[in-house]
Amino acid sequence: MFSLLVERELKGILLSPKFTATFGVCSLLMLLSLFVGIQEYHHSVTQYETALQLNDRQLAGETSWWGIDSKVYREPDPMQVFVSGVDYDVGRLSDISTWNEVKLKNSSYSDDSLFAIFRFVDFTFIVQIVLSLFAILFTYDAINGERESGTLKLAMSNAVPRARYVLAKFVGAWLGLTIPVLIPVLLGVLVVLLIGLPLDADSWAKLATFLGVSILYFTFFIALGIFVSALTRRSSVSFLILLVTWVSLVLIIPRAATMAAGQVVRVANVAEIDAKKDRYSTDRWLAYRSARMQQRDQRESQMANMTEAERAVFRDANRQKWTEEEDALRQTTLEEIAEYSRKLDEDLNNQKAQMQAVAFTLSRFSPSSAYQIAAMNLAGTNIDVKTRYEQAMQDYRKAFNTFVDAKRQEERMQNRRRFGGGQDEPLDLTEMPRFQSPEYTYQEAVAPSVLDMGLLSLYVLAAFAGAFVAFLRYDVR
Amino acid sequence: MLRLIIDKELREIIGSTKFAVTFGVMSLLILLAFYVGARNYQVSMREYEAAIAENTKQMEGLTDWSRVDNRIFLKPQPLTALVSGISNDIGRTVPIQTQSEPRSQDSRFNDDPIYAVFRFIDLEFIFSIVLSLFAILFAYDAVNGEKERGTLRLAFANPVPRDKYILGKLVGSFFALAVPLLVPLLLGCLLLPLLGVSMESTEWIRLATVIAAGLMYLGVFLTLSIFVSSMTEHSSSSFLLLLVIWIFAVLIIPRTAVFVAGRAVDVPSVDEVDFQKSTYLSQLWDDDMKKMDEFRRSNPGSPGESHEDRHRKFRAYMTELADARTGKLDVFSQRLNEDRNNRDLVRQHLALGIARISPASVFALAATDLAGTSLNLKNRFDMAARAYRDSYARFIQEKTGSATSFWWMGNQNEDAEEIDPYELPAFEFKEAPVSDYVTSALPDLAILVLFNLVFFSGAFVAFLRYDVR
Repeated sequence: MFSLLVERELKGILLSPKFTATFGVCSLLMLLSLFVGIQEYHHSVTQYETALQLNDRQLAGETSWWGIDSKVYREPDPMQVFVSGVDYDVGRLSDISTWNEVKLKNSSYSDDSLFAIFRFVDFTFIVQIVLSLFAILFTYDAINGERESGTLKLAMSNAVPRARYVLAKFVGAWLGLTIPVLIPVLLGVLVVLLIGLPLDADSWAKLATFLGVSILYFTFFIALGIFVSALTRRSSVSFLILLVTWVSLVLIIPRAATMAAGQVVRVANVAEIDAKKDRYSTDRWLAYRSARMQQRDQRESQMANMTEAERAVFRDANRQKWTEEEDALRQTTLEEIAEYSRKLDEDLNNQKAQMQAVAFTLSRFSPSSAYQIAAMNLAGTNIDVKTRYEQAMQDYRKAFNTFVDAKRQEERMQNRRRFGGGQDEPLDLTEMPRFQSPEYTYQEAVAPSVLDMGLLSLYVLAAFAGAFVAFLRYDVR
Repeated sequence: MLRLIIDKELREIIGSTKFAVTFGVMSLLILLAFYVGARNYQVSMREYEAAIAENTKQMEGLTDWSRVDNRIFLKPQPLTALVSGISNDIGRTVPIQTQSEPRSQDSRFNDDPIYAVFRFIDLEFIFSIVLSLFAILFAYDAVNGEKERGTLRLAFANPVPRDKYILGKLVGSFFALAVPLLVPLLLGCLLLPLLGVSMESTEWIRLATVIAAGLMYLGVFLTLSIFVSSMTEHSSSSFLLLLVIWIFAVLIIPRTAVFVAGRAVDVPSVDEVDFQKSTYLSQLWDDDMKKMDEFRRSNPGSPGESHEDRHRKFRAYMTELADARTGKLDVFSQRLNEDRNNRDLVRQHLALGIARISPASVFALAATDLAGTSLNLKNRFDMAARAYRDSYARFIQEKTGSATSFWWMGNQNEDAEEIDPYELPAFEFKEAPVSDYVTSALPDLAILVLFNLVFFSGAFVAFLRYDVR
């Protein structure tokens, strides 16, 4: 009996002209999104590699360790083909130098604002907006449509338990919609395989989980459609309700929630923080300079009564000590500045984390946000990508500074001249530490998504339970 | 007769539950957009003022102008909060240094990527996505729905000219949707001064034009729906067709067209341009280093000259070189920037031209042009920043004798007078005259009218041949 009902439902969906149209559109859109995504990914890889080469070439042209600074870049991740997240919004690179803090800048959208006008279309966008709309389109009249056409009365005149009937409706609709959607998805995965997107094992696991979450999200709208149609008498009413619900869940709540959070939690402006940092750093360097002057005066006074020859001997004897003193002074200054910045940044990050928590909590009332947050977490294009990279870049800056500092000291001991004449030779960069992009493993990706996956399951269960209960009391006449 | 048809159409729409629900949703959204826009504007204004205050404060107590770190900021505009455009994607802060070219940084979405996740609700979003969907919802069965119900046949049992009938349908449904929409829009406008956002008369004109463009856009989807509805037999198929068109026109075409077409034109990346600039700069440095060496060698200093004097002379020479270097670099950068901008312009024309096959892109471009948040905003801000840099350099030159003095070369002078940060030239980002905004939006407004005409004539022709039975 159950399989008969499922089969009937399946046939009803698969044979409708509606199905052919939407199936075609879905397939087209998914493949289109992957096409654009892959193209963009390749573009960013080219850009990334060129940038690295240019940076290397620039370093190779340097002749003194004194003026040296470097740049590090965020590495494109193939997962951004599926979930672009905030990838285009967050800065692509940061300067690495002794004097300046790590700061991500030059986001893709600020460099090429043309692309920011309409923004990007990715797989998540298609699932989040288009698929959910289609799910509603197929289920809005699941129950009340049958009542209107009289078939419900007919079906119930047989000895069909209502529970089984509504379950069969759900299973049939789910199978009829999910399996066809999976075809372009698998086709897309095949395209990805053929094109040779460099996905490692972890990425495949992330991708599989992401597809699972997408299906869960899609399921929610199927269940919701059945639920609302079991609550209402007429299909035109249920469609209107569902459309309004869809507009609020998908388009409004996520946006409104973040904006509300922005009103509740005050986050300091980055420009404000930067101005504070600048002032502190200027003050520290001024203090450093006076200290150096004092140092010099002190040494001069020690040598005050010496002859020129004695001075030279004294200088040579003390060179090591003096250099160490000077370095220590510079190091403390740098450390103090770094410490001050770290404190300011920590405050700022705490404020941001607080705001983020409020925003995400509010927006999670909509399954659409829960889905998007989970997808971004899985793909590693979430907001944490910024802190993750900044952390790694700060660590790199430390290593870079230590290395360059040692080299500078060497250079000074060799007494190379600041103003080079003809004897410039390129620096030996082979030992220079290289920046390693931070790892983002499957475990790290799944851990923060668990909450949202649980929430989505909960939403699905709630919608289905609602449909179940509503149908048990439904007046089939 | 026409009036009667319009009257009937108006009554039918306004009396429906559908209308009550969608009108409620739209009013809520519009008021929300105005409210949140006003609050956002105030928050950004506070941030802007705090940033300026902090910028001035951090200069206080310094004694040397060459040690100053100066920044300028993009001033928030009330219209920006209502039609955000690319205003959240471009840098809002420009560190101003005399030696290097100004570069904006700290875009809002980079600073707070959380806003980039879900973005903002603004008027443009509500019009282009929600309103167009509702327009379809009301007009998808304008003709074939009447046929299905049999009322079409009934109507034509009377001597009604078909052209009047279809015109009446369109005018009726347009007024039924547009006039009620004006209520929350006007309320929203009223909300702005109540929340303490003051706008100038030119801004009001621009806002009114944005709203007018929105209504034209509504007209596009209404005429399109009536067109499709008079092309098809069943209302269910016209709805499906319209929904698919909506998805493509509103969600897909603008996004993909720009990406696909944009990548077809090769524009050097910012990284490459930066590399060329810095290579050129280091070349200049190398040359100058040699010159400095030369200078030292050829000026060993006369016996009577003190160490201090020699040092001063050398410093003067270094400054001279630095000024020359900055000048050369400026010329070089300007050439590179111009080259990049020109290619970027070609790309923009191609990408946006293709995107304009969708009325949603046309409306978005018109609205952002009017609100001053289109790509022009970036160019104008960049230009203003460059002009400010020049006046700042002149100011520093006046104060310190050189636009490019290095603070580590300066004399430590403990009892020097403190600088007065308020002497700094003020940065003012001037608004373009209102005619500029309107002129740049004019082509898009014309295209919107064109869309209306084309779809209406389509509906007209299709209905003349429509089988009313």
